[in-house]
Amino acid sequence: MIDRRLFTNFDWTLFGMLMLIVGIGVANIYSATASYAISGAPYYLKQIYWLMLGLFLIVVICSFDYHLLEDISYWFYGANLLLLVLVLLIGRRSMGATRWLHLGFFNLQPSELMKIVIIITYASFFSNYPVFDGLRLRDLGYPLIFLAAPLFLILKQPDLGTAILLLLIAFSMAMYVGIRWKTIFSLLLALMPVVYLGWHYYLRDYQKNRILNFLDPERDPLGSGYHIIQSKIAVGSGGMFGKGFLHGTQSQLHFLPEQHTDFAFSVFSEEWGFIGCLVMLFLYFSLVLWGLYIARRCNDRFGSLLAVGVTAMIFWHIVVNIGMVIGIFPVVGVPLPFFSYGGTSMITSMLGAALLLNISMRRFMF
Amino acid sequence: MRGGKEKWADIRIRLVGALFVAIFAVTAARAIYLQVIKNQDWTKMAERQHQRVVALTPARGTIFDANGAALAVSVEMDSCFAEPRKIEHLGAAAARLAPLLGMSKETVAKKLAGNKNFVWLQRQLTPDLAGRIKGLEIEGIGFVKETRRFYPNSEVAAHVIGFTGLDPAGLEGIEFKYDSTLLGNTGFLVTERDALGRDVALKGMLVKKSSKGYNVKLTLDKNIQYIAEKELAKAVVACGGKGGSALVMEPQTGKVLALANYPDFNPNASYRYPPLLLRNRAISDSFEPGSTFKVFLVAAALEEKVIRPNDSFNCENGSYSIGGKTIHDTHNYGRLAVPEILKYSSNIGAAKIGIRLGKEKLYAYLKEFGIGEKTGVDLPGEASGYLRDRSQWFGVDLATISFGQGVTATPLQMATAFSAVANGGVLMKPYLVSRITDDSDTVIQQFEPFRQRRVISPETARIMTKMLQGVTDEGGTGVNAALASYKVAGKTGTSQKVDAVTKSYSLDKRVASFVGFVPADNPRLTIMVVVDEPKSSPYGGVVAAPAFSAIAIQSLCYLKVAPSGADQLTTRVVEAKGPAPIRAFAALAEGAIVEAAAGSVMPNFTGLSMRQVLRNMEKQGLNVRLTGSGRAVAQNPRAGERIRTTDQVWVRFASNN
Repeated sequence: MIDRRLFTNFDWTLFGMLMLIVGIGVANIYSATASYAISGAPYYLKQIYWLMLGLFLIVVICSFDYHLLEDISYWFYGANLLLLVLVLLIGRRSMGATRWLHLGFFNLQPSELMKIVIIITYASFFSNYPVFDGLRLRDLGYPLIFLAAPLFLILKQPDLGTAILLLLIAFSMAMYVGIRWKTIFSLLLALMPVVYLGWHYYLRDYQKNRILNFLDPERDPLGSGYHIIQSKIAVGSGGMFGKGFLHGTQSQLHFLPEQHTDFAFSVFSEEWGFIGCLVMLFLYFSLVLWGLYIARRCNDRFGSLLAVGVTAMIFWHIVVNIGMVIGIFPVVGVPLPFFSYGGTSMITSMLGAALLLNISMRRFMF
Repeated sequence: MRGGKEKWADIRIRLVGALFVAIFAVTAARAIYLQVIKNQDWTKMAERQHQRVVALTPARGTIFDANGAALAVSVEMDSCFAEPRKIEHLGAAAARLAPLLGMSKETVAKKLAGNKNFVWLQRQLTPDLAGRIKGLEIEGIGFVKETRRFYPNSEVAAHVIGFTGLDPAGLEGIEFKYDSTLLGNTGFLVTERDALGRDVALKGMLVKKSSKGYNVKLTLDKNIQYIAEKELAKAVVACGGKGGSALVMEPQTGKVLALANYPDFNPNASYRYPPLLLRNRAISDSFEPGSTFKVFLVAAALEEKVIRPNDSFNCENGSYSIGGKTIHDTHNYGRLAVPEILKYSSNIGAAKIGIRLGKEKLYAYLKEFGIGEKTGVDLPGEASGYLRDRSQWFGVDLATISFGQGVTATPLQMATAFSAVANGGVLMKPYLVSRITDDSDTVIQQFEPFRQRRVISPETARIMTKMLQGVTDEGGTGVNAALASYKVAGKTGTSQKVDAVTKSYSLDKRVASFVGFVPADNPRLTIMVVVDEPKSSPYGGVVAAPAFSAIAIQSLCYLKVAPSGADQLTTRVVEAKGPAPIRAFAALAEGAIVEAAAGSVMPNFTGLSMRQVLRNMEKQGLNVRLTGSGRAVAQNPRAGERIRTTDQVWVRFASNN
């Protein structure tokens, strides 16, 4: 079953980039949580455990041909949808949202998993769907339904960040397949009333505030504008060369909110400065380009779509997270892949990476 | 699925790639904006949020005398602080610390109370005490090195050096004037605050060490200073005076070699003395100089060639009326030549020279000598003295100013002006700091003698020196200032003080002074001695001149100045051991000058005609400035007020037709 050629074709470049980013990430979590008074295993160690689990998943997934997924994608989709329903029924409530399923040894966040599943589903769907001169509105019927169901369940939790990410991933893949301008305009037209209704009937006050505060952070500096301002102070005071590892004042003194998870990059920027930022941006940029390169040299449509989907997922996470950290996007709780602390994020990102590696190493299989 | 489609997919991927590049570029641009362009703003905001700064006393530079002896030094001392949150048993710790700190247990406990992270317990401890507190080994009690000012010579040059407060700022003297030079950069103990405003434990404490300031080297010579202080104190105590000042200057350069005031104070404990004692009277207090002023008058008259050295004046047998007042001499003289007028200090002779010189010229020369203007010495709190503008000199003013009344000057001004006579006619700017160096002895700034202007010609100066030598000759008022082995040129001064209550000249309060330079033929030192309110004798020749000679002989020996005559070596040794007994006989008397205008009270002139006012003036011996015409409508001082010597007396007339 395991071809010897698979080892020779293993994408060490991609793997190397990933390990570099994860390594920096772990060190950064070490610094971000150095001042925490915690009992039990420290965060960086836990992140290493998650990393081990992620590597194990990579080995497991890479040992199967990814084409298997094409056949069972709808089973995955159905199962994940079921989990999302279960979350709403018996999920664990924390911080005003019900996002987690308590599984005894860890908490599963099905909405995160849905990101991977929607990629597989879309890839499977579009690879078998004949498209001429771009997608028409009517071609988007099934994809929209595939998207709408989990989107509804996730917004119900509520988890705006994940919902937006899901939307961006789906949109990116449709764009890759090819979509007519007319279709795009029609969709935007249809979206407008949704946005209007959403603002007035769906969005909670804290979410509206986040958006308003993004537009004007000084509006409420101690309230929900606090995140943006503190993050900008941390990043801005880092300067050209940063304050040095473990010497970031804003992070070590807990001015930053969620500094080991969503705002991990603030800590990094404060301690390593603009130079550090540039290095990280370059690494991520290379990662994303490499993902596209994998998509391009893949010989089958399913694999190509899968690679684009995973790359889009990673890309949008980076853009939304870093955009939030440096104050060009509003605060939405999106982690930085391979970098922020968090088991679910690590597993999701690693699953995506496993898919990319899988596609890359089997490029000569036809 | 091949061919054109394939190519289109390729282009699309490239387009997506381009989009990615654009988005990363925007992100990077934003990072540049935040971290590089606006970095300082954000850094400031960050610091404001998280830093709490505790200032540490910086080390001040050392003040040296001319020979490099330290006059003021900074000593490192331990300051003790507590980190209450680290102390396990606050009560027990307070109980153990209290006896050592000299506080009650409750006071210490109160300091340690509260959830504070940092509190000073006591700053600048003695090494012994610091050692004993360290010996307690209480967790949470720490020490930081701070510096404290120490003056190793105690009282010596206290008024020049000045002192500092407990915080490192200089409060007086050189310490104050050169504060920013001496003061190093303040060190900081930076404690950090977390987001909840709590002080964070000091483990991350950043101590920015304070840096030492520059050293200042003075022109002052500690030994001459000591001589001046010792002799001044002796003179003041001997005559029961209230106080006094002594100055030693180098006439050619304006370097101040000694500046002493009595009573003095110990700058190591300056807070124990009343503020009045801390005043540097030699530069801050001006007095009516009296006869010493005649020197400038004669020099001006000679320079202007209105008199010649051999001219003689009728001294009216001791009583001379002018402008409604009568001037007296202590002894009655007939005709006196110019040198004799100085030698015997005749007021009438001086008044007559003054009248011949004219007020315009006298005023101009006094200004040239620096009277009425600050010398610009590098010490704080200098007074300018008081020289009335010549447009307000009326009647008798020209005569009295000629012998030093109705005008005030500081001892430093007098010494500086006298130095101009000593050095051949050039007014030098007096100064105290010769050099500023850093810790490695690199010269930061060097101060050179500053020549202000030529006041009199070398020839006039030479004649003056010769005349002033006569003052210390047998029979002169300054005979007590004479030295056996050096020629001394100088002048005595005795002036009445203005009584604060009657606002007219006091009957018994005098200021006795002597100013001169030695050796007269090649002046090395200008020495000024002033004694305030001497009791035993009012005269400068009796009270101040002996101190002058004592300071002069000891300083000259110390400086190894060759005696004027080669055969005088033995005498010098004798003199250095014990000065000759002070001679006090009638010839030394001088001063007692203007009749005390019997409690001059300003009459009410209102409504009188100018002629009536003039008649009234004549009768009362008043010196009034009249303006306008018609009937008197306004006057100063107001009717019934006492008239001070420095008051401007005027009556304004107006007609209403």
